[in-house]
Amino acid sequence: MPHQCVRCGKLYEDASEEILKGCSCGAKMFYFIRKEKLKQIQEQQEKEKLTLQEKEEIEKEVYDLIGDNIDMDKPVILDIESIEILKPGKYQLDLVKLFKAKEPLIYKLEDGKYMVDIVESFKKMGRKAK
Amino acid sequence: MGIFGNFLKKFLKSLFKKKGEIKLGLYGPPNGGKTTLANKISMDWLGEEVGIVSGIAHETREIQIKEQITIKSKGKELTFNLVDTPGIATKIDYEDFLKAGIKEKEAKTRAKEATKGVIDAIKWLDDMDAVVIVLDGTKDPYSQVNITIIGNLEARKIPVLIVANKIDLKKADIKKVQAAFPQYDVIGISAKYGKNIEDFYEALFKITNQ
Repeated sequence: MPHQCVRCGKLYEDASEEILKGCSCGAKMFYFIRKEKLKQIQEQQEKEKLTLQEKEEIEKEVYDLIGDNIDMDKPVILDIESIEILKPGKYQLDLVKLFKAKEPLIYKLEDGKYMVDIVESFKKMGRKAK
Repeated sequence: MGIFGNFLKKFLKSLFKKKGEIKLGLYGPPNGGKTTLANKISMDWLGEEVGIVSGIAHETREIQIKEQITIKSKGKELTFNLVDTPGIATKIDYEDFLKAGIKEKEAKTRAKEATKGVIDAIKWLDDMDAVVIVLDGTKDPYSQVNITIIGNLEARKIPVLIVANKIDLKKADIKKVQAAFPQYDVIGISAKYGKNIEDFYEALFKITNQ
């Protein structure tokens, strides 16, 4: 189950229909979770629960960070890499990874430490959607 | 693009580069004095400022460019586009801005913009022909941010000049900065008061091979 809705936290199996169409809560942004990280994330979630409002704020922040070239109606997959949003307004940046990427593709969000690989994700999503 | 591709890109870039298209970037951690230095350079040679300076970190959150600055020293001339960048940090927390008296909503926006600023600054790095790293001379130079920036510039073979700023302050220690980065030229200046700025200009000719 490597995908998790950013808004409600629901987990989805890889290639679930919801990842393409959007979560049952209406959100269209997901974290991609590496299998080996899943347990760690679940434990973290238990420790520091974010409110729904905080989650929504984080979702908005990510859209703002990604920029204008994002279609709000298409699902976005977040990968765990270089920018972590711990809570709204609290960011942690992995400079080494940011410098490494030709284009910093990856932004990181709540529930511990997550990032977005937009371009690659969109390419993959586009292929899957067809 | 492979090694050859990169070489080709660089070669073509240098072939078609017109005079005055040298991009000189000011990089460094927040509150080192990048914008103060950018303002000093721009005021000295263009008579206008680049950006706003404040005591609160991450005041500059967008790339700012001043084009076609020509500096003169000892009969030589150097024209460049000056690129002032947002401070690079590993952690940006809106609560730090709250402590500086900024209201919560504005602090969160500032944190978001500062994060984007870091990404932009890093994105721009490949476009730079030479970089001045502006460090606060009163602070410990051995930080992850400084080492990461300098290491990446080295890997990209971009010429670097390190400036230990704020030497007007008693706590400033140029020797410590020099000891941290012995393979680079380190110049101690006070961008605010213009102290030692002539030496800085002279060093710019050196890193831009003019």
